[in-house]
Amino acid sequence: MNINEKTINNYKILSLQGILNASSAPQLKTFIAGLPDEQSIVVDLENVEFLDSSGLGALVGIARKKRTSNAVVKLARMNERVKKVFEITQAYTLFDIYDDVSAAAEA
Amino acid sequence: MNPIVTLTLQADLRYLRIASVMACNIAEIFADASCTAGNVAEFCHACELSVSEAFTNSVRYAEPSQPEKQVTIRFFSDNGTLTVNIIDNNPQFNPVTQAPDINSYPEGGYGLFLIHRLMDTVSYTRMDETNMLTMTKHATMTHAE
Repeated sequence: MNINEKTINNYKILSLQGILNASSAPQLKTFIAGLPDEQSIVVDLENVEFLDSSGLGALVGIARKKRTSNAVVKLARMNERVKKVFEITQAYTLFDIYDDVSAAAEA
Repeated sequence: MNPIVTLTLQADLRYLRIASVMACNIAEIFADASCTAGNVAEFCHACELSVSEAFTNSVRYAEPSQPEKQVTIRFFSDNGTLTVNIIDNNPQFNPVTQAPDINSYPEGGYGLFLIHRLMDTVSYTRMDETNMLTMTKHATMTHAE
């Protein structure tokens, strides 16, 4: 999985590309652990071809940790395959979800 | 009934994608030509995701002391139904699961829950220190007019 980062309005935008599963989830966790705890994040999921519960769990865990630092994790540009996993588990209730990255970084 | 494909992999997350892509490809070939494009995609995604979850569980719960940890995946097709067996030699497990309490921000515990929601039937047998999780999915057909 590739992780591309940029900054918009004090949000770190992480654009994920590829597969987010049990094999690649540790990579995402390690990447975010390298950011300051108080850094808010927008995760751009448009190019995530496949996400399973390990990927979901990584995002949920990251969101939980960020809450303790008064930071937020927002999700943007979910495709239908990713959306399905969030809907079945109801994990969408834990995140603010946006159709585009700019809107997420402005809110 | 003989499986159309039997795949045996080392119980290692490096091979997770092989398992789930195989499931997606087999599901795609299996889905009847009369399925709408949307139905085929949904069918394939359900199979791919379920196998990904089941294989991940087999890897995660393998006993460290087991000398050769393997996971066998068998695919069967019969009368519009795709059946998948996930077989391992891990300790016995409880295949019944409740939805995780999402408000506690759980990082895990979703796998079996997702499988139950995605697949039409899920069953579990334990025999001779072997687990077999069986999942079935009926291909949704649309009929040409």
